[in-house]
Amino acid sequence: MSNLAPTHEDRLYWPVQRQRNRSLYGLFVVVAAFVALYAYLFPGLLSVAGISKFAQSWLPLALVSMAQAILMLTGGISLAIGATVSLGAVIAATTMMGPLGVPGGIAAVAFSGLGIGALCGVIAIRLRLPAIIVTLAASFIIAGLALLILPRPGGAIPGWFSDLLAGNTPAALILLILAALLWKLYLATPLGLSLYAAGENPVGAYRAGVPVDTARIAAYALSGLLSTLAGLFIAAQTGSGDPVIGNAFTLNSIAAAVLGGVGFLGGRGTMRGAIAGSLLLSVMINVMFFLGFPPVAQYVAQGLIIIGAVALPEITRRFRRAR
Amino acid sequence: MNGTEDTRFPRWRAASLLRNRAFLTVLIVALVWIVAAFAKPGFGSYGHLRYLLELAAVIGLVAIGQTYVVIAGGIDLSVGAIVTVSAVGVPLVALSGDSSGAFAVIAILAAATGIGLLNGLGVAYLRIHPMIMTLAMATFLQGVLILIAGGTAISAQNPLLAWLGNARIIGIPAGVILWTIVSAAALAVLHATPFGARLFALGANPLASALSGVNVQRTTMAVYAVSGLTAGLAGVLVLGMNGQGYVGIGDPYLLASIAAVVLGGTSILGGSGSYAGTIPGAILLVTITALITVVNASAGWRSILFGSLILLLLLLSGRESQRR
Repeated sequence: MSNLAPTHEDRLYWPVQRQRNRSLYGLFVVVAAFVALYAYLFPGLLSVAGISKFAQSWLPLALVSMAQAILMLTGGISLAIGATVSLGAVIAATTMMGPLGVPGGIAAVAFSGLGIGALCGVIAIRLRLPAIIVTLAASFIIAGLALLILPRPGGAIPGWFSDLLAGNTPAALILLILAALLWKLYLATPLGLSLYAAGENPVGAYRAGVPVDTARIAAYALSGLLSTLAGLFIAAQTGSGDPVIGNAFTLNSIAAAVLGGVGFLGGRGTMRGAIAGSLLLSVMINVMFFLGFPPVAQYVAQGLIIIGAVALPEITRRFRRAR
Repeated sequence: MNGTEDTRFPRWRAASLLRNRAFLTVLIVALVWIVAAFAKPGFGSYGHLRYLLELAAVIGLVAIGQTYVVIAGGIDLSVGAIVTVSAVGVPLVALSGDSSGAFAVIAILAAATGIGLLNGLGVAYLRIHPMIMTLAMATFLQGVLILIAGGTAISAQNPLLAWLGNARIIGIPAGVILWTIVSAAALAVLHATPFGARLFALGANPLASALSGVNVQRTTMAVYAVSGLTAGLAGVLVLGMNGQGYVGIGDPYLLASIAAVVLGGTSILGGSGSYAGTIPGAILLVTITALITVVNASAGWRSILFGSLILLLLLLSGRESQRR
């Protein structure tokens, strides 16, 4: 089959991708501008070591933005992302030095994320409760679990594992590329294909035989997995666990996904947008740090830039119409 | 003749009352209070219940605006920050010639309304999703607050606030009376004015309401302004009860207000609900928190209990209608 001339699908692939990129050009330009500014301020960025250091500060936010974007594509949302990140960090810090070792710890983190995500999904989807409030309640339960496992910051991660993930290696960058590739693969599976259909038009998809509920619950499970893995990485970075370390990620993940053009109603948006959104947020934070902004002014600037970036398409549209 | 009267006012049935979400929430609150009063001596005493109502008044005030916004199809994630702005702001604008303290309160309420208007401006004219607009506003305000107020607590020397936080009129705290009056006004506006009707229309179907002549942009601005105002009012009350304001004082009220709205039976998707359900929703939240504090458990277990109880209550009252 493959040695035939380009098939119909091949000819369609790139035009479709271009179409999907169209609404993201503005974001890409803003991201490129910020990256250029960052590289200008910190020339060390343009080296393997510089990029891998930057990837380490970016990876957790990129993972949680993917976690949030998966849910938003199916028309859901999670306010439990931050708590789940904390839980992942806490589990990693308490199991890895124990009899389970590093592989056992990674498995424990991954399975707890999958399980908790799937449970949230089952409650929200099967019982038909609004996702925003189910995950709000779940965030309290998950945060409580994290506090039970590790009441105060502590635990430990084996030194060699910390060095491998967060030392002078490009591991974070490789993991990020891997995550993006796995997402492409997932989209090619039946469940991945159902994802957009379930978000865009659940009724139509259901009538066409798409396993809407399964696709949505799988999205919740994957979202939990990505969140706890982000927690694992943070634990490796800091060398210990902290039961409240992930709190800021809930809102930042939503901000990144929305900056990336992922819609709240489901079916609208792309993962590359969400990742670009998370890149914008972390570059922004780094640039402000380099410019010597006090941490407080960063909040102000962050609020303004998020509003600006989201409002930009509407402003340009109005401007064009006025002319 | 009789037939038309019947369709306009369907005959009263006990079963229809049981399907009323606001009434159901009241029922759950009453049940929890009675059980708790028997299980824990002192829980049902007048003094304790009055204290719970005082706490619920703050959540209830924040939840007025949140109910309005949610019914109109949005959500306001900046209410916590606005509560903090007003709790920290009143001592900052205190003037020497202003002996009653009323001027400071009015100025801060105007500022809170202005912040709400800015939210509305972003949502209505820049078409920013409410969640992201109000979230960015909250981030922005958090930064501004720390810049202005720093990390320290600021005490208020404001007679009006001291009265609001501590006075009892025939045994009822002034804060609860304030809540009652504002609630009555909020319910009247929501259910008996064209503005209230427009909110429901906007939440149910923004396009249809725009086509039928609702000024969507102005209504959106107004609804976020109301949310800013009630959050500001709640901040003033918190300051009166606490005596001092600090950055972060309003944070707990964001999630509490959303939970109260949903527990009260208002659809998070917009278009249906009532503030009548949010009132018992707020009282229920405070009661649960009090019960969990009574149970002597670690912070982790308290958090787990709180989350599980919200989930359970949601199962009883918060089912979204099936859309398939």
